[in-house]
Amino acid sequence: MLRHPSSYRDPSGFMYKENGLYYRRINPVFFKEYNQAKSEGIYQKLFDKGWLIPHKEISSSDDKIIIQPEQLGFITYPYEWSFTQYKHAAQLTLRIQIFLLENDFSLKDASAFNIAFHKGKAIFIDTLSIEKYKENTPWRALKQFNEHFFGPLLLAQKHGGSFLKTLQYSINGIDLKEVKRQLNFTARFNPIIYSHIHLLSKLQDKNQDETDENKEIHLSKASQIKMLKALEQHIDAMTSVENTEWSSYYNEINYQETSFQIKKELIKEWCRDVNAAKVIDLGGNDGTFAKELLPQTDQIIVSDIDQPAIDQCYLNMLQSKEQKIVPMVCDLMQPSPSIGFHNSERDSFTSRVINFKPDVSMALALIHHITLTGNVPFEMSAAYFAQLSKYLIIEFPDRTDSWVTYILDSKREARHLFDGYNSSAFAKAYQKEFKLIKSEKIQGTERTLFLFERHER
Amino acid sequence: MNYPFYFDAGLGAMIAQAAIAALAGFVLFYKTVIAVIKGWLGMRKEKKNGSFDSSYEKDRENN
Repeated sequence: MLRHPSSYRDPSGFMYKENGLYYRRINPVFFKEYNQAKSEGIYQKLFDKGWLIPHKEISSSDDKIIIQPEQLGFITYPYEWSFTQYKHAAQLTLRIQIFLLENDFSLKDASAFNIAFHKGKAIFIDTLSIEKYKENTPWRALKQFNEHFFGPLLLAQKHGGSFLKTLQYSINGIDLKEVKRQLNFTARFNPIIYSHIHLLSKLQDKNQDETDENKEIHLSKASQIKMLKALEQHIDAMTSVENTEWSSYYNEINYQETSFQIKKELIKEWCRDVNAAKVIDLGGNDGTFAKELLPQTDQIIVSDIDQPAIDQCYLNMLQSKEQKIVPMVCDLMQPSPSIGFHNSERDSFTSRVINFKPDVSMALALIHHITLTGNVPFEMSAAYFAQLSKYLIIEFPDRTDSWVTYILDSKREARHLFDGYNSSAFAKAYQKEFKLIKSEKIQGTERTLFLFERHER
Repeated sequence: MNYPFYFDAGLGAMIAQAAIAALAGFVLFYKTVIAVIKGWLGMRKEKKNGSFDSSYEKDRENN
């Protein structure tokens, strides 16, 4: 039994891995709560809504109950979500709390890590967060909700998507005083923002000694529901300027529609040739190429540095009810590290991809950014891609490609440092890690598509 | 609750909830009034694509 390194905060139980599958152990201290939720049909109702990860009970004894949740294909963390994904994760938490209150239950915490994206939508994965509601008690997770969700969303709305990465450097959420400092003065005139950020930040240092005789704090259930509904409506209406102004990258490509189609066909054909069931599209933009592979693959991760592009990918997925794509924001020059206690609570991007075992990695229109903008030598990028999957489909834009010319021109007097950027040097360096299966120049472009197979290790 | 808190709920945050709920009541009332007026004027709110609820429509259809 291998306890999951992030599953230690709640004494009610913990996640563990056995024979490659995840299970949840429930401790006796939580038996009563678990059995109540089960007998009152709470879990089942949440499964039916698609809000809670389904589980089945495997065994029950005096010292433990074991449940097995539906397994997640690939987990993305809050700091890898786009604006709308983050918003939906926040809304899901509030909707579940409202539903639970209406059924005399409550969420005991509101961590953003309780949400995952599974089969195309946000889903709550911490089954043991559900406890019996105690009449007239306020929501103990409200402050945590604002630190994990509302604070980062407000800052991302005002300052940009980089604030969606807050939990990467502050795993327990952002201090509400910090949120207050970074908001406009006028933000305090919005009653929702004032009450959840300004008021809470003012009162957050209040301690028990300052209250009268440790008296109980009361809040009626109806008032709590009202508070949560107003907050949920506010979040629902939030938009991000950078996302609404986003225009499709593919309207700006430097080649013709026919070349675009040829590229799509080549990718489909090559993925079919190597029986690719699991694919990762690195620098996958809004998932345009990943979408082409849907009929022939089981799961595709689309990662991109551009938050609005990933947001568009997610919105497209919602519209088409697509379940196989996992969109995530990731800068390959600084992919998410492993974080938390012992550096092991939340796994790094690279390690998760390796465990996901994709058959093919796709790096389309990416290598010039890594090599010329990121200054990464071919040998190093080849070694990185070789870690991820057996096959690599990579597009190499030559020096004559207009984007490459643009980047090289921006190097000015340092341009000569990049004289080694050419197709033959690229192919030679990559063949240290891979065997070249085939390559084909994309007609009407200055780009060549390569299919590589990793050398046996 | 038969187990200890495992994170700081923030006493201030608990106390503040009565005030937050009162403000929320005001906001919800105001929004309802505006929605009714917009309804009278024939300004119906269009359903947004990619809304939270649209993500779960399929699940509801299946149940």
